Amino acid sequence: MSDIERRALIKGAGLSALAFSVGGAEILLSPRQAHAQNIPFRTLTPEQVETLEALGETLVPGAKQAGISNFVDQQLSIPHGEALLEARILNVRPPYANFYRAALSAVDKASQAKNGDKKFAQLSADERYGFVDLMRQNKIEGWQGPAGPFVYLILRSDAVDVVYGTMEGYAALGIPYMPHIAPEKRW
Amino acid sequence: MATLEKVDVVIVGAGASGSLYASVLAKAGKKVVLLEAGPDWQMTDLISSDFWGRRVKPSGVPFLFEGKNPYGYAYQGGWGVGGAALHYFANFPRYLPTDFKVKSEHGKGLDWPINYADIAPYYDKVAAEIGVSGDAKAEEIWRPKGEAYPMPPMKTFRNGQVWLKGLEANGIRMVPAAVGMNSVDFKGRPACIYDGWCHVGCPIGALANPVITYLADARKAGAEVRALSTVTRILTDASGAKVTGVEYYDAKKEKQVQEASVVILAAWAAQNPRLMINSSTDKHPKGLANSSGVLGKYMMAHYASGTWAMFDEDVEPHMGTVGAQYMSYERYDKNSKKAKGAFGSTYIVAGTALKTSDLGGFANARLDLFGPKLAEFMQRAKRGITRLTAFGEEMPNIENRVELADGKDEFGMPLAKIVHSFSDEAIALWNANFDEGIEIAKATGAKEYWSARGPMPTIHLFGGTIMGEGAGTSVTNSYGQTHDIPNLWVAGPGLFPTEGASNPTYTIFAVSQRGAENLVSKWGSVAG
Repeated sequence: MSDIERRALIKGAGLSALAFSVGGAEILLSPRQAHAQNIPFRTLTPEQVETLEALGETLVPGAKQAGISNFVDQQLSIPHGEALLEARILNVRPPYANFYRAALSAVDKASQAKNGDKKFAQLSADERYGFVDLMRQNKIEGWQGPAGPFVYLILRSDAVDVVYGTMEGYAALGIPYMPHIAPEKRW
Repeated sequence: MATLEKVDVVIVGAGASGSLYASVLAKAGKKVVLLEAGPDWQMTDLISSDFWGRRVKPSGVPFLFEGKNPYGYAYQGGWGVGGAALHYFANFPRYLPTDFKVKSEHGKGLDWPINYADIAPYYDKVAAEIGVSGDAKAEEIWRPKGEAYPMPPMKTFRNGQVWLKGLEANGIRMVPAAVGMNSVDFKGRPACIYDGWCHVGCPIGALANPVITYLADARKAGAEVRALSTVTRILTDASGAKVTGVEYYDAKKEKQVQEASVVILAAWAAQNPRLMINSSTDKHPKGLANSSGVLGKYMMAHYASGTWAMFDEDVEPHMGTVGAQYMSYERYDKNSKKAKGAFGSTYIVAGTALKTSDLGGFANARLDLFGPKLAEFMQRAKRGITRLTAFGEEMPNIENRVELADGKDEFGMPLAKIVHSFSDEAIALWNANFDEGIEIAKATGAKEYWSARGPMPTIHLFGGTIMGEGAGTSVTNSYGQTHDIPNLWVAGPGLFPTEGASNPTYTIFAVSQRGAENLVSKWGSVAG
């Protein structure tokens, strides 16, 4: 399917959930549903998923269950012109997968250098918190990859999106969502 | 490559200024084609979601961003019909008389070749055409008298009202904000319901975006919109004295030539000079209409000093519009903060609906917080948080520029870079406005308050194709007609020699209305 045809399909369907591949067919799910159903990943490796989920949960409690890895993975698998990632509006140059791969690799490499070869997901909760606090302030020596504060900003935004930016997130906070045109499947 | 039947006018870009030009020209009987690089969005595409709202913004723009304060683009950029005005906040303040004569009055910056009085009738005309809500009489404590707005002011909410005590204590008068939104039903478009989703596009048409106003009018009058059509070059005749059309890639990515009697460049302020430079010929070796040498120069951006406050009471942060409830020109005197080494106007707004996520969401009010502390903050902020914003002006600087760069986009057109740095005076004003914001917040009785500090933001974009008195120092005349090539016109904020401090779209519309009417009036002597 060409980009244009895909776009036409999206417009025609008024699509507001995300399309995930299951058994060769595309189904519409929210990231939370995709996570709960163990939908296979298309772009991220298992190691990258593990790091992303650990980071997401450290940044915003609840991000793992809210499907941060499924959200990011699905978004990286579609044409960049359709992407809904915050990276899009922060001048990250497509393909966005390049940024995420570099960012997650930088986090793990820095974690290994700093914590006796332990990747970020292998750190204790306190160690993860301390690592992120240094990363956001650009205080990790020997950091290699996209700037730490920018990695913090992008991944924190993704985590905020899936936890607080959905209709479920608004309901959990007790804020009326009040849509003109509601996203399908509360997304 | 096909050469398409010649039309009267080809307009590059279907955003705010392009849509207005198309409306005026099509109604005048001209055959108009708009070439828009992005999709042909419909109002039903405007889903109330910060995720889905990102679809109507650019992805992977063909620009590089350099300088001490690199320009931030995509959040405020447009992609598709309506341009950035598809998702703008629709704040409609005017520029003041001083904005047009900065050089004459202060010996720095530039003058416009026109005065406020030249634009004022077009502000009124735009207001009557697409609808503005506000209180003109109240604004006239700062500006010359004009016509009343067609609609009364919008409703206000506690998230705006709570700032008034602190502002008054600091001698800052506030008046109802002028906005391009419907406080009551207007010309078949419904009144606003204050749900705060303006920034991802208002699908009911209560907010005057171009798709529901000027572009709709243009289409009714016969204008044709070709979406997903990217212009790469403006074509000239052998003499270089006139343009003959444009070369573009259509939705199937096939190259086309659209011939036209007049070409109007109404793309993004940085894209217009990129196109003009990329269209160089032996007759125009530095870019089209660049005998002045200032094509691509004098790029400018606004900046904002935000102040957050947290109240014990429920200020309903999610309610209202993303545009302002109150506005003030009380600090608009360009020397109002001279003692702090600053120069430039400040425009103050209070009261804005806040959603949870995205760049403007309140989760970003404390970017330093994450984990359980962020969760705790969100619980408090959902009831008590609100923001005050002071926008600042920078002076035109010839070093802030657009120029072609190494590398090419998917159509083989050279990338461009925007080089941008703020002056010391602008930085001083930014800092002074943070200081004043804290003084205001203190006087409100807020429980907590803090400055929204981070990297100095760049908001809106101006210059690059500035208007002026002649071809020696500017690219166009006051209507947007290039000095060097009479049938090549430019529209939008790229024409502005100075930027003022207030939101620009109302002035973009007014300047475009004036330009479009001028083009129609002298069509016979302009069309090639």
